[in-house]
Amino acid sequence: MINTIAQIDFVASAGRSPWHRASALPKLVLAGGAVGLAVFAPGLKLQLALYAMGWLVALTSLLPLRLLAAAAGYPLLFSVLYIALRWDGSVEGALSIALRPLTASLFAVWLVGTTPYPDLFAPISLVLPRAAGDGLFLTYRALFELLVRTQRLFRAFRLRAAESLPVRRRLPLAGEGLATLVLYGFERSQRMYSILMLRGHAGRICGCRHYAEWTRADLWVVLGAAAVAAAGVLLWRSP
Amino acid sequence: MSHLHIPDGVLPPLLWAPGLALALALLAWTGRAAGRGAPKVIAYQGALGGLMLATMSLPIPIFALEYCLTLAGTVGVLLGPAASFPVVFVVSVILALLGQGGLTVVGLNALVLGAGAAVARPVYVRLAARRGQAAALALATAAAQTVSGLTWFALLALALSMSPGAPLAIAHGQAGPKLFAGITLAMWVVAIAIESAVAFGIGRFLARVRPDLLPPAVARAAAPATVSAPGIAP
Repeated sequence: MINTIAQIDFVASAGRSPWHRASALPKLVLAGGAVGLAVFAPGLKLQLALYAMGWLVALTSLLPLRLLAAAAGYPLLFSVLYIALRWDGSVEGALSIALRPLTASLFAVWLVGTTPYPDLFAPISLVLPRAAGDGLFLTYRALFELLVRTQRLFRAFRLRAAESLPVRRRLPLAGEGLATLVLYGFERSQRMYSILMLRGHAGRICGCRHYAEWTRADLWVVLGAAAVAAAGVLLWRSP
Repeated sequence: MSHLHIPDGVLPPLLWAPGLALALALLAWTGRAAGRGAPKVIAYQGALGGLMLATMSLPIPIFALEYCLTLAGTVGVLLGPAASFPVVFVVSVILALLGQGGLTVVGLNALVLGAGAAVARPVYVRLAARRGQAAALALATAAAQTVSGLTWFALLALALSMSPGAPLAIAHGQAGPKLFAGITLAMWVVAIAIESAVAFGIGRFLARVRPDLLPPAVARAAAPATVSAPGIAP
C-alpha cells in the first residue's frame, strides 16, 4: 500500500492528461454522482455501463495500470466475503454485488489520481466540521513523512534480524519502534502548532482556491457527467 | 478485522445512510468537545492519523494472509474518546479516496474504528494503576479491537438480515459460510493478539521515555494517585 499511496500522490501532481488539467470541483461532482448512481443502480446493465465508464476515465487519465489494478481491486476482498455469505446460486446477483464497489473504487482512484490533494481536500473540508476539515490536511501532510520513517523502521528490524526472534518478543519490539514514531509525531505536532500560531491561525486551515477555477479541460468532465447521466436515464429501468 | 474496510454499494442504504448521519453528528459533537485545546490538539490528531495510515500500509504476514495494524486502541488511549473520533473519520475518508473502503460508508467505517477507540481510554485509566502502563495499554487495545470487531460483525449481520431474500447462510448450516466465519473469527482473535502485543511495546516505551503522553490512571483509593501528568490529551 505504501507504493500505491506514494504513486497516487505523485501522478496526481505530475500527470499530464486532460483530467489532470480539469479543476477539482467538477471532478468531485462527477465522481460523487457516478458513485451514487453505481450504489443505487437497480439493474445489471446500468452497473456494467458505469463500470465500463469507470475504466474509460481511469485509463484515459494515464494512471499506471498496476496502480489501477491494485487500487480498484481492493473492494473484491470484502465483496467476495459478502457474496459467499449471500450466495443463492445466481451469477447475476453475485456480479451485481461485486460491480458496485468496483465501479465506486475506480471513480475514487480516478479522482484522487488526477487531483492534487490541496485542491481535493479544500472543497471537502468546507463541508466538514473544523476538526475534521483541518485534520484532512494535517493528516495527509504527516502521512508521507511518517510513511518514510515507518518503512525505514521496519527495514531496520529486518536488517537486524528481528524476524528471527519469537513472535512474543518481536511484536512488542515493533511496538517500541512505533512508539518512537508516536514521539516524533508529538514533537512534530508541537512544531506545527508553533507554525500555525506564527502564521496567525484564525480557526481554520484554508485550502487553495484553485479547486473551482474553471479551465477548458473541464469540458471533458462535463462530457463525462453527461455520459453518466445519460446512462442513468436510459438504463435505469433495464434489468 | 476492523481494518477490513467496507466498500461502496455492498451494504443497503438503510444501513449506511443513518451510519453516515450518526458519524457526522458525532463528528460535530466530538469536534466541539475536543476543540477546546485546538489547534494544539488538531496538530497532534493529524500526526497520529498519519501514523495510523502509515502503519496500516505495512502488512504483517499471518500464515497465508496479511494483517494490517490499525493502532485504533493506542490512538484512543492517547487522545481520548472525543478527540480520537475525528482522527478515525479522517483516516476513513483518506482511505476511501485511495479506493480502500467506500465513500458512502465512510460513516460506518469510522464508527467501527471509533467504537474501539472510544472504549480504549476508559479501560486504560481503570487498569493502569494496578497493572502498569504497558499492560494497561495492551488490555485497552484488546478491548478496542474486540469492540471494533463486534461492531463490524454486527453491521455485517444487520446488512444480511436487511437484504430481502438473503437469509443468513450461516444459520442455514451451509459449509462455505461456516468455513468463512471460522476463518474470520480465527483471524480476529489473532488480530487482537497482534494489536495488543504491539500496544504493549508502545506502552512500555512511552512509560519509560515520555510518561506524560499517557493519560493519568484512576487510583482505586480516594487518594489522587496519578501515574503521570497528562500530555496534550484533552
